[in-house]
Amino acid sequence: MIDDMRVGALIAASSIKRGNKKTLAFIIFVLSLIFMNLVFLPSMIGGMTVLFTGIMQDYPFGDIVIEPSGDNTYINDADSVLQKTRAVEGVRAATKRLDVGASIEHKQKVVGVTITGMIPTEEYEISQYPYSIIEGDFLGDLSRDEIILGSIIAGTSTTLGDIYDDLGEARVGSLVDVTYSNGVKRTYKVKGIMEGNFELVDLNALVHYKEIEEVYGLEGSKATSVVVRVDQPGSEDQIKDKIRDAGVNEQIFTWADKSETLIRQALQSMGAINVMSEFVSLIVGAALILIIIYINILNRKKEIGILKAIGITPRSIVFSYAFLSLFYVCSGIVAGLILYFSLMIYFQANPVVFYETMIIRPVIDPVLLIRSIITMLILSVIAGTLPAWSVSKESILKAIWGR
Amino acid sequence: MIVVKDLKRYYGSGETAVKALNGVSFEIKKGEFVAIMGASGSGKTTLLRILALLDDATEGKYTIRGLQVSNLPEAERSYYRLTQVGYVFQDYALINEMSAAENVYVLSMMEGKSKKEAYMVALEALDKVGLKDKPDRVPDELSGGEKQRVAIARAIAKKPDIMFADEPCANLDTRNSQQVLEVFKELNDKYGQTIVMVTHEPWHVNYVDRVITLEDGKIISDEIMSERGENNI
Repeated sequence: MIDDMRVGALIAASSIKRGNKKTLAFIIFVLSLIFMNLVFLPSMIGGMTVLFTGIMQDYPFGDIVIEPSGDNTYINDADSVLQKTRAVEGVRAATKRLDVGASIEHKQKVVGVTITGMIPTEEYEISQYPYSIIEGDFLGDLSRDEIILGSIIAGTSTTLGDIYDDLGEARVGSLVDVTYSNGVKRTYKVKGIMEGNFELVDLNALVHYKEIEEVYGLEGSKATSVVVRVDQPGSEDQIKDKIRDAGVNEQIFTWADKSETLIRQALQSMGAINVMSEFVSLIVGAALILIIIYINILNRKKEIGILKAIGITPRSIVFSYAFLSLFYVCSGIVAGLILYFSLMIYFQANPVVFYETMIIRPVIDPVLLIRSIITMLILSVIAGTLPAWSVSKESILKAIWGR
Repeated sequence: MIVVKDLKRYYGSGETAVKALNGVSFEIKKGEFVAIMGASGSGKTTLLRILALLDDATEGKYTIRGLQVSNLPEAERSYYRLTQVGYVFQDYALINEMSAAENVYVLSMMEGKSKKEAYMVALEALDKVGLKDKPDRVPDELSGGEKQRVAIARAIAKKPDIMFADEPCANLDTRNSQQVLEVFKELNDKYGQTIVMVTHEPWHVNYVDRVITLEDGKIISDEIMSERGENNI
């Protein structure tokens, strides 16, 4: 077996060393493109996932979000939940929120929104809401008649504004009328306009927690969610368990749980395209390697017969083609990696921009790279070996003289 | 050394079968240089291919040093071809992407020798055919005669019991043909190499000990040359 491999390696090495260099370069180039195709699109999708999950963490869900259990609309004793949660080691901050439906009217223009009632001072440690104000100021502890509007609602968004209805000329200082889902009407002065370049943020409006509590007549510190931030990123699952152990009986989700559910749908279509793209790439790659090796073998069928005639074993011949295709694919992978990392460097410096401000940088995923490399290698051995095995089984006379 | 008894090779079956060999029997002793001659289609190449274990006989027995080789399974035939038999093709049959030395030492590596040992064996074989100074040339950089001498070096490097040559001078001019035949003669004289060569050139008999002539798949004459080039029988 070892001798077969040594002889196979010698035959393959000679073929590479003295074969047609232009053909070799072309084969490697095409294989590098196939490899690129396998890894580039998933990297871009990975970048989108990072962007979306980042937004989910920074705005609605934090690192961990606690939501009402069962069919309950509210967490009934949110302060108790907050107390237990804050006492858990590894929790950096936690706050409660109340999300409700409402419509906002300004100069005969009406839009439907979700209004989040929050405790403004606590949000500085929890979310990016306070830092996403592009006009005016964020809410304060005394902001009882004031509202923060998302840029899409206000009509100032230059990126997503065309798709949604807006209030037209509502700016900082404008008065807007809010009709809550229970029919209660309130008038608020616009204190600030926020922009997160994401619908979930820019279609939202924020008021003080106590406003919602009052409008809905809620008692006993109710909340639709308790949002938690942790000290150490990556410890969310452990902290989640600790919160449960601390006696919190509501539903507890990490940002990953939530993102998976929410983003899954958004990325499902992209994922399907990605899977199709990977599948087609693999088929094209396998076919290409098969064709290359098969043409190579047809051209050298006589040579294979001669090798057999002088005593070289069929196994050596199969090894030689396995090594040859392995060399093609390894070179293709190396060239593909160079191309891939060059593109990664380029896109880190020049990220893809959606809606003018959503910046997507492709993510280098080592697992994806390793999986793609292994797939290509397996493919090369199969695609390179099968035709060689088939021809090496032919009779010597048929191989050499076509009989 | 070689004993062939009533060897037959038919292509096809029934009344339309082509009888390429139709009952051939002979013996070849160790150290003999034998030419198999005959007109085109007489069966000489078919006979050589069967002797070199490249093809199967339809009927008959064939032994090398007492071992019945005609019915060996392919794996053993392959091993036999590697270790006991050298074969020189009409069109050299060198691997174009391998140097002269690589063409020769690939077989030694197959036998388990290290690359260095195999290279030394190749140099020795190339020396015997007068090409010691061209081990790194690829076939495209060699003349027809030189290519054939590399092919001979490849055949003799493994020190086979017997060497077969299928019209080794067919693609060569007279001068190169003479050089190749001189190599054969020297291998036979100096090293006692048993050689069976198919040829259709009458002047080649000057170099051999014995001439077997075929016609329509049968031996029509088997002549010993007392002095090379002189017909004894």
